[in-house]
Amino acid sequence: MVCINQKITIKTEHYQILQKLKKIKKPVEARELSEKLKIPYEKLMSGAIFSLEQIGLAKFQEEELEVITLTKEAKNYLDSGLPERQIYDVLAKNDRKEVKLLDFSKEIEEQLNFPKRLFFVGISKMKKNKWIMSSKAMGYEQIFINNESPEKTEEEQVLDLFKDSNSYSLLEIPKKLQQAVNSIYNRKLVTKDKKILRLVELTPNGKKITEKELQLIDEEINLISSEMLKDGSWKEKLPNLKSYEVNALGPNMAAGKYHPLTVIINEVREVFHSMGFEEIKGPIVEEAFFNFDCLYQPQDHPAREMQDTFYLKNPAEGKLPKKKVVEIIKKTHENGGNTGSTGWGYEWSEEIAKKILLRTHTTATTIRRLSHITKKSKFPMKVFCVDRVFRNESEDRTHLAQFMQIDGIVIGENLSLSDLIGQLVEFYKRMGFEKVVTRPGFFPYTEPSMEVSVYSKKLGAWLEMGGSGIFRPEVTYAWGVKDPVRVLAWGLGLERLAQIKLKLGDIRDLYQSPIKWLREVSY
Amino acid sequence: MPSLTLKLDRLEKLVGKELKIDDLEYDLQWIGLDVDDVNKEENEIKIEYDPNRPDYSSPEGIARSLKGYYELEIGLPEFQINEGTEKINVDPKVRDIRPFVVGAIVRNIDLDEDQIGTLMNIQESLHWALGRDRKKVAIGIHDYDQVKGPYIYTTVKPDGVKFRPLHMEAYEMTPKEILEEHEMGIRYAHLLKDAEEYPIIYDAEGKVVSLPPIINGVHTTVTDKTKNLLLDLTGTDFNAVNYSLNIIASTFADMGAKLETIDVIYDDKPDEILKVPDFSPQTMQVHLDYINSYLGLKLSALEIIKCLKKVRLDASKTKDKNILNVKIPAYRCDAVMHEVDIVEEVAIGYGYQNLTPVVKEGGFGKYHPAEVFANKSRSIMIGAGCLEMVNSTLSSQKDYENLGLKFNEKEQIVLLNPVSEKFNTTRANLLIGLMKNLAFNRSAEKPFRLFEVGDILLIDKNRDVGARRELHLSAITLSESSDFSEIKSLLDHYFRTLGLLDKIDIKPISHPTFVEGRTGEIYYGKKKIGQIGEIYPQVILNFGLNYPIAAFEINLMPFFKDHEE
Repeated sequence: MVCINQKITIKTEHYQILQKLKKIKKPVEARELSEKLKIPYEKLMSGAIFSLEQIGLAKFQEEELEVITLTKEAKNYLDSGLPERQIYDVLAKNDRKEVKLLDFSKEIEEQLNFPKRLFFVGISKMKKNKWIMSSKAMGYEQIFINNESPEKTEEEQVLDLFKDSNSYSLLEIPKKLQQAVNSIYNRKLVTKDKKILRLVELTPNGKKITEKELQLIDEEINLISSEMLKDGSWKEKLPNLKSYEVNALGPNMAAGKYHPLTVIINEVREVFHSMGFEEIKGPIVEEAFFNFDCLYQPQDHPAREMQDTFYLKNPAEGKLPKKKVVEIIKKTHENGGNTGSTGWGYEWSEEIAKKILLRTHTTATTIRRLSHITKKSKFPMKVFCVDRVFRNESEDRTHLAQFMQIDGIVIGENLSLSDLIGQLVEFYKRMGFEKVVTRPGFFPYTEPSMEVSVYSKKLGAWLEMGGSGIFRPEVTYAWGVKDPVRVLAWGLGLERLAQIKLKLGDIRDLYQSPIKWLREVSY
Repeated sequence: MPSLTLKLDRLEKLVGKELKIDDLEYDLQWIGLDVDDVNKEENEIKIEYDPNRPDYSSPEGIARSLKGYYELEIGLPEFQINEGTEKINVDPKVRDIRPFVVGAIVRNIDLDEDQIGTLMNIQESLHWALGRDRKKVAIGIHDYDQVKGPYIYTTVKPDGVKFRPLHMEAYEMTPKEILEEHEMGIRYAHLLKDAEEYPIIYDAEGKVVSLPPIINGVHTTVTDKTKNLLLDLTGTDFNAVNYSLNIIASTFADMGAKLETIDVIYDDKPDEILKVPDFSPQTMQVHLDYINSYLGLKLSALEIIKCLKKVRLDASKTKDKNILNVKIPAYRCDAVMHEVDIVEEVAIGYGYQNLTPVVKEGGFGKYHPAEVFANKSRSIMIGAGCLEMVNSTLSSQKDYENLGLKFNEKEQIVLLNPVSEKFNTTRANLLIGLMKNLAFNRSAEKPFRLFEVGDILLIDKNRDVGARRELHLSAITLSESSDFSEIKSLLDHYFRTLGLLDKIDIKPISHPTFVEGRTGEIYYGKKKIGQIGEIYPQVILNFGLNYPIAAFEINLMPFFKDHEE
């Protein structure tokens, strides 16, 4: 925006160019302008136009345009008219009722110096325009006038435009004449070229600004230099300091910047820390034992199959923890052990539990935390994990084979479903979601289980965020975590959050890191 | 998750109440269903149900729960069943291969198209959820009027019989031929892989009823003229087989058919008669204080009983005021493992939406040292004008080769079952990802200064899981003039800010990824922690790039005290 109270300084010679641009009114091509003003192109662009742009009075933009330019042949018709018009005029002038075509062609050849080709083009156009009719009744072709005062055809109207300018961008030609442009192009009267046009035009401010609002100066300077400051000449130079359009964007810079995923992860981290949670980390390359068996997933559960889980060829097999624990897990699966459960009623295999995989959820790490609980541990113990997990899936706009999972757990005495809902409400409130709804859900390792939805003001919609529940006794007893000590747990996918926060269309962008997007993304 | 489309008019008939589609959309979530899509023009709702509730695989099953939710009918659903006269005699030989069989007679069926669709959905749902793709349960449905009892469940040698199987009825085949040539035989042959004889059900006239878990005989095919059905369910897990029968039979009952029991008798135990289907409820004892403590409520026995009745269970008081006897319908396979299962039933009956959130404060937060150091490293690199990248852990062998590195299957992490060549290993350095970032962004405005802080994975035989993670930092520069001195000043800046620059040494060495004379190993004291240098021209070209590139990568583990669970 131009400041109204203060006069804008402008070089006198630039002001003169401003005046000329005012007269031209429409956007003008920079080279054409330089020809008109008789100022060298480079000088015009880096001088006047650049300055006018900086103070917000002019702007120029580059456009790829299809430009039509009159051919040499067509230039000849500018004054005398298209061949059909010239021929008609000859025919009309002598007020002849009818002529024999062949004779007439010779006549035209002599009078107008038209070659035969041009004559027949003219005749066929005249017929098309219904200026003349033809008859072969006499055994030879005769023509006679059909229209006493033919109006200008569209082709002629296009030609007329070129009286003002030698070339036009297609966009400048009125819509109703576009068809005619094609036909004169087919007649080779114009050429079509792709051109990058630098169009100069005045901004609304430039159009209405008057001399009173400007301060004209002869010399302008770009900078109060260190020299000027030292020798005191800055005082006299200051009025000559070029004004800038202060609201214009600065040039792009290649700045250092956090990746949006890091920013969002750190936000989640802060929410957990502010609620008194400790962050934990665990192996990414994990044993089926911790990833599945400890979570009471039966060994024939479909989620454990190869099409859902990345198993490893190397390392293929891990070492199970101490025998006592393995024995408890085995019994829990087979008959419930001492958990008060019936168990799944099948024969549990160590071999399957030893398989190595890329963990499918961070709950595998949560379980490892349970394994460190001793009689001396203090409750409530609140821990969280934000880390990478893997699913054997083909990637598309909404699916990733690798993604970030957020897991929070609270271990404490007599914790209830109402406490869990309280934690979820508080957690999501701090994440920026005021409304939280929990519904019945199912997860193999929690009971009761809940699905969690939150309301996003940004999207104006309810979103399914993830799951939650209280760890089953079959999960916790192996680690000595027994009733009334219970484990509240919830989890969500980070990419889901990121998609909402960043309004991301294609989730894969998060890990492909398009640099242009990263430089521009806001968070 | 399995899904099902509910037609409003049909559901209304089953529930016995006028339903509005908007209300229904809201109500269904409170009985544990996910609404996937609402089609108001067709008056249909597509729902998803959890795999632990195969009784929700039919509108009949869902209607039972809805009736409880609306309190139109509460407590255990009742089903009429008559004592039948049919028998299945079981040859003990089946014990080695597929030991269990149950069944039922279903009379007076009059199924419309929707109901036939429902039956197929239940069958599919049970085969998948409880049956583990027919391993644990396989279901056969037959035209009862085409067979004659008593039936014999026995085994047969692979070429011991010939019959016309469903879908390939043109000629008779032996079980062996079916397993080799029939579409279903090929698909399920693995379930009979180690068997010397195959399970088979004959009728009294010796006709093959079915060859479980593969295919039925063609003459028992159900058509639109079928009036009465024989169900056979066989499997390797009695509970799964029996629940499947109860789920399918209760649905037939709700459709208006008449059920009759079948006696299952093992030849070696002629006195033990198993009468199926048996709709007697399952029972469990629960404790009031346990339930209340779990839910954060103070419900009385009567209130808990009411909650349970609403979800179509039932309960009664006992002499011990703290104990209730709970009855669970015979078709519920998910609510009988542990007392907590009943806790959840009470919660659903009470309504999750009616629970009051309780926020308990307390606890001290604790940062993870790795994340603290990672964030510190990020801020130093960003201060130096570097753009942060976050790349995938999954990688490919080709990526290693592009870097000029040899991929040795014995020393690298290798995936057993990759979805594509794109992911057949994991990254052992961050440079792979950064080079791919450059390649992906080759047309973006230069110069590039990128970095990543993240975990890489390495084989480690000392760990129980055979591998370990290592936190790394890598930075890369690409411009017309990227060279060693540019990347070195980045590295210097990083360690200067950490106050460690005087402990860092670079020792020249040759490395296939970098240009000799412009690369070196980075040492922290005596410990080798990384590599720095100008990228070797062929490596640049391997990634489809044509600008000079310089990079470094360092292991950050020596700089903080790690803690892994």
